[in-house]
Amino acid sequence: MKEFHIQFDELVIDLDEVVSILGFTRYDLPEPFASYLQEALHFSESLQDIRAVFRIVDQVKIDDQHGKVIAGEIDLQVGRTVCNELNGSERLAFFICTAGKTISDKCTQLLQGENPVLGYVYDVMGSAIAEASGDRIQQILKQDAEKETYRITNRYSPGYCNWNVADQHKLFSLFQNITCGVTLTPSALMQPVKSISGVIGIGHEVTYREYPCTLCSSKQCVYRRIRQL
Amino acid sequence: MNELLEKISDCIEFGKINLASPYPPQMKGLEGADELTAKALQEGTPPQDVLTKGLMPGMEKVGRKFRENKVFVPQVLMSAKAMSTALLHLKPHFLSGAAKQKGTFIIGTVLGDLHDIGKNLVAMMVEGSGYKVIDLGTDVSAETFIEALEENPGAVVGLSALLTTTMVNMQKITNEIKAAMPETLIAIGGAPVSEEFCEKIGADNYSADPQGVVEFLNQKFL
Repeated sequence: MKEFHIQFDELVIDLDEVVSILGFTRYDLPEPFASYLQEALHFSESLQDIRAVFRIVDQVKIDDQHGKVIAGEIDLQVGRTVCNELNGSERLAFFICTAGKTISDKCTQLLQGENPVLGYVYDVMGSAIAEASGDRIQQILKQDAEKETYRITNRYSPGYCNWNVADQHKLFSLFQNITCGVTLTPSALMQPVKSISGVIGIGHEVTYREYPCTLCSSKQCVYRRIRQL
Repeated sequence: MNELLEKISDCIEFGKINLASPYPPQMKGLEGADELTAKALQEGTPPQDVLTKGLMPGMEKVGRKFRENKVFVPQVLMSAKAMSTALLHLKPHFLSGAAKQKGTFIIGTVLGDLHDIGKNLVAMMVEGSGYKVIDLGTDVSAETFIEALEENPGAVVGLSALLTTTMVNMQKITNEIKAAMPETLIAIGGAPVSEEFCEKIGADNYSADPQGVVEFLNQKFL
């Protein structure tokens, strides 16, 4: 198990993606969004609670017929789509990462308070930080795997591709309370909200595939709406 | 529609809050929903006309554009902010009865779920369409919905959920509301929810977007 802090400047934030989720391009970003984005970026640079943890499990079985993954002491009903993506994995890396309580609280405070528009910009930035933290974990795992001539898959999370979000509880049980301060509500919602968890396959025969929206069943997702344009 | 009401409608559609607001760029330096609403009322435009011929048409256009992916969440939030600024001028007229809201809508994110952006968008859009909105927030139990209904007889309820795990609670809350107040209409929405799920749990409406909720309410209240 490896838990670590991540500095904001270690992350590769895709600002084009952030701006596109706001509904603009970097060349036509009007006020107040340009100032709001600068404010959110400046705030994010000082974050000290971006953290990540991962655990690699060696004993794995991918049961793609039943859409199930067995990893050490737990079995996860990940669904056939995720099973297909993980096929060939000899190890599975489970991870949790968070943009931290500071930015999550800031989003909530603004969204529920005096400036929901600014709150939404922080919210999008918080999501981008959480995703970039996931990218960082993926990068570390890839480097480690390549030393042993392994390859890795893309990352997959409960709640996506028909993987029941309730499995979060089982996934978190792998970390024995070393969860970067991320906790789960009974309904499996992560807190701080700007956190992600999931699994990455490792093996000689696995394939890294981009994560297209067609894999996911969420038809009303804001990302799908934007990418369709 | 008079020119002032048309301008108010444009301010809502494009999210122009007030004179000082730099957004949208093409309306920079112009008066916004704040000043124009005050001016319309001062000039004697009936408050009901400001609401139904100025503010509501603007909000309806935003709702349609959001449905058609022509605008995104931030632009809708700007429109909602312009709307709420304008509504402050109308509030005394609602209280005096000079302007009437079409009905009451009670909305909340269901128990166990803390997501509120989608719920807020619906609340803003419904309010901007001439309804009184009671927003119970997130993580709301059946008891809280029922209490709000007892205080607001005839209100329509909106349930929001983003997690598949909390869809179960949506079903329980729907059942409990229907058991306590069978006549209550319930609209549901959220990423994991569908028309089929709506039918299965006995809710009355599923909407994929905020404008759908407005259309449902307009059918019921007009």
